[in-house]
Amino acid sequence: MRVFGAKELLEDVHAKDLCIGCGACVSLCPYFKNYRGKTAMLFPCTLPQGRCHAYCPRTEVDLNELSVRLWDKPYRGEPIGIYKEIVASRSTTPHPGCLFQAGGTVSALISFALKEKIINAAALTDREDLIPIPRLVTNSEEVLICAGSKFMASPTVSALNEGIAKGFIGMGIVGTPCQMMAVLQLRSNPLGRPDFRDPVALSIGLFCNWSLDTRQFSAYLTDKMDITQIRGMDIPPPPADVMVLKSVDRERRIPLSEIRPFIPSTCFVCPDMTSEFADLSVGMYEGRAGWNTLIVRSQRGADLVEQAVRKGVLQVSDMQAENLERLSRASAKKKERALRMLLSRGLLNAEGDGKRSVMRIPPEVVGKILATETE
Amino acid sequence: MNTLRSRSEHTPRLVMGNEAIARGALEAGVSVATGYPGTPSSEIIENLARVSAGRDVYVEWGVNEKVAMEVAAAASFAGLRSLCVMKQNGVNVASDFLLHLASSGTRGGMVLVSCEDPGALSSANEGDSRHFSRLLEVPLLEPGSFQEAKDITKWAFDLSEEIRNVIMVRSVTRLSHASGSVVYGEMPETKPHAFFSHDGDILDPMRGPVISGPVEYKHKKQQEKLQKAIAFFEESPFNTYTGPDTPELLCVTSSAAGFYCKEALRLLGVEGRVGLLKLGTTWPLPPRLMEKYLRLTDKILIVEEVIPFLEENVKIMAAELSPKIGAKVLHGKRDGFIPSAGELNPDIVIAAVAKTLGMTYGSPAATYTQRATQAAACVPVRDLAFCPGCPHRASFWSIHNVLRMDARQGFVCGDIGCYSLGISPTGFGTLKTLHAMGSGTGLASGFGSLGRFGMDQPALAVTGDSTFFHAVLPALVNAIHNKSEITLVVLDNSGTAMTGFQPHPGLPVDAAGKELIALDIVRICEAMGATVRICNPFYLKETERILLELLEKRGGVKVIVLKKTCALSPERKGKKDFNMFVNPAVCLGDDCGCNRLCTRIFKCPGLIWNREKTVAEIDDIICVGCGVCASICPSGAIQRKEIT
Repeated sequence: MRVFGAKELLEDVHAKDLCIGCGACVSLCPYFKNYRGKTAMLFPCTLPQGRCHAYCPRTEVDLNELSVRLWDKPYRGEPIGIYKEIVASRSTTPHPGCLFQAGGTVSALISFALKEKIINAAALTDREDLIPIPRLVTNSEEVLICAGSKFMASPTVSALNEGIAKGFIGMGIVGTPCQMMAVLQLRSNPLGRPDFRDPVALSIGLFCNWSLDTRQFSAYLTDKMDITQIRGMDIPPPPADVMVLKSVDRERRIPLSEIRPFIPSTCFVCPDMTSEFADLSVGMYEGRAGWNTLIVRSQRGADLVEQAVRKGVLQVSDMQAENLERLSRASAKKKERALRMLLSRGLLNAEGDGKRSVMRIPPEVVGKILATETE
Repeated sequence: MNTLRSRSEHTPRLVMGNEAIARGALEAGVSVATGYPGTPSSEIIENLARVSAGRDVYVEWGVNEKVAMEVAAAASFAGLRSLCVMKQNGVNVASDFLLHLASSGTRGGMVLVSCEDPGALSSANEGDSRHFSRLLEVPLLEPGSFQEAKDITKWAFDLSEEIRNVIMVRSVTRLSHASGSVVYGEMPETKPHAFFSHDGDILDPMRGPVISGPVEYKHKKQQEKLQKAIAFFEESPFNTYTGPDTPELLCVTSSAAGFYCKEALRLLGVEGRVGLLKLGTTWPLPPRLMEKYLRLTDKILIVEEVIPFLEENVKIMAAELSPKIGAKVLHGKRDGFIPSAGELNPDIVIAAVAKTLGMTYGSPAATYTQRATQAAACVPVRDLAFCPGCPHRASFWSIHNVLRMDARQGFVCGDIGCYSLGISPTGFGTLKTLHAMGSGTGLASGFGSLGRFGMDQPALAVTGDSTFFHAVLPALVNAIHNKSEITLVVLDNSGTAMTGFQPHPGLPVDAAGKELIALDIVRICEAMGATVRICNPFYLKETERILLELLEKRGGVKVIVLKKTCALSPERKGKKDFNMFVNPAVCLGDDCGCNRLCTRIFKCPGLIWNREKTVAEIDDIICVGCGVCASICPSGAIQRKEIT
């Protein structure tokens, strides 16, 4: 992993409109702040190397290095990454008035992990009106406040940075694939600090096809409705092609074609749909309302699920082969699209003096992904 | 002890040019003196304010130069002698009224003193207001010494009453702010009675209504007054000639440039070859006098600062007189013998005279140059900076940060005051426009109306409290009335700080410290219909929170008043709120990752970087204990201890 400073971060990410606002560079120093979904640099910083650059999921991300670091296996570009098993899951606890997306698996697991002291705190995503805001929670009641999909970029990793600054270890984090990449880079101690301790005891990644620009999307919704009434949002599986906004007493459907223009261009360079670098990955279960797809990737992820099921917090069942295949195809498609975009913009495996890349992937893997036949 | 009240003396005193001007007004029996603070003019009104009680002089800091001029004119119309003082920019502000006043004429002697700033040492421009005398068609006098500063001012009142019109007296920084020898004259003991006669015939200048019409009639009268002034100028002792009877070269000069000419001629050793005509009555030029001296030689060099005002007038006169005096070669700014911008100095004049005479004037010895360069290298490089404890540093910190966080490429339109420095690193480069008094809000009002053309950048303006009253009010009315989307930040430091803490309408005192009515900026803005917030800028988080809230808020004009008294005000000076210190156990120095935020970016002069220990430290001599740096230190190493 090549690590540079804030100057390079601005050149490579901000200037190329690749910042998603994941929060990885925020709350590390006085220079980067995130406000209403946008990360900004307040003053120039002259340090040649910084955690801001090292953690960023959009500059010099070496997927092979990350894969070896986490799984002790090279990155092979498998559609849904490395995993132990994939199941259907749902929370067993009904929470009236709290609108999860699908089965409530994430809230149930984080809540359980906090109760069981598997983690001491969790970096989650809350909301102020419509704007997603990071929140470091330390008890399971607070987890429910943060439940529900936001569909907008949130600087959640900054809550992890804040937790580290406060001296927390054994933290959990829930985030999108880009945020899971940032978290893994963070856990790799890229600046080689001698006093480094891995602060993350649990990472739950979310499935993500794309996110929406917070400001554009919230401005759009503000024009359309009273946003204070919105209680949850969901994108039902195809062929619905709509976003459902749930308010206290009604549901409102918005065609996806209306909100697609708010997808930040950086989402189109992301090759990861299922959060491949997390302990657990959670998403929708197509065709089975009220259930999630749960990908168990790491041993500690498997242990947590096993305990949660044993204690009756989580219910799991088999995943249908047909669903798995659909998930795999969609993931492969995202990978291929992202690599083509990276290549066309010269942002993949750039060689030569002073050349920097968004991502580094072994050439043979690139070839394999691009050869994927997609529908 | 203030010497302005002293009786006449025979021995000279060392006084500042502005003090001499004030004394001249007192010797003329001035009753009303007004002005608006502006460097280098402010000390004239301040000095008069100090002696006002004992001498029955009414002294007033006007809300702006135009109103100050109107207040002074009212005194003249009521038969009193009045003085109005401003810097060069002020004449522009007053000029609308002045054009009418010059036509209506005056009654009691009335003098406008404009103190100007060639080289813009303390200004946002180096405007030359002498051209106003030609535009307004009123006489212009330019003192060329400290004695003349007093004497010309005094005489200007007499001249004003002779011709019944306002007289312009122009000084410059090197006269107003330098000190020289002045012999004081007698003080009058009259106590005039104010009465405005208005029942006479419309054409009766002393008893009728005072108006600028009938325009053509009054205009002709005004020009007759100028002819009368010329008659006085022909005999004026303020126009002097020194030099041989038949010089090779005639230098024509005025004002502080006269000092440089004298020095240049002496240093060149050409006093026996070059004549020096120093004019004190520079517009209109007296033709007989000019004929007498232009006749002396064929080669003429006009030496003056800023615009070629004297040069052009001398050239016109030379052309008119050419049948009598023959053709002349005239050098000056237009042919590049004298630079057309910036201040003059003896070296520049030496070069110009030497060039005109075809002499070579050797540059200083190499050893001298080397020593001078070495000496200069010892002076540490220092940026222009806000004072330690200045509220503006804290205000700009917050404004800068919220604009970056907002990330819509918002910007701030600047205005005139200490906070003009907001354009430089000490204000984090926050200001993006800087023009005249009040122009920040006017420009923001314009930017805030461009939403219909797709502009979505937040437009902000800053103003000081004094500038708010001076010229921001009309711009604010404009913005509110026209539904412009702007945020106005009032940097209220409780005084006209930049020019020496003169009071303004927001404060309950006058120029002499007597009680007046204070106008409340917050209530004014609220009454005008703006959304108004108020905050102490030293509370950075709260200031940022409010600014972000206002930036988000759509629907017209938002105002935030950031109120904190200037660190140099008598109220705060020498009084620390906190004892500041850096906890060496907490300051990680270069290991912090903050990249020296305190000494590299925030850069209060009270913070120093210890190069040996590579940690931040407080300079206890400089620090005024405002406590703000403790709020910006990310590791909490800079700490404050409340002084109880």
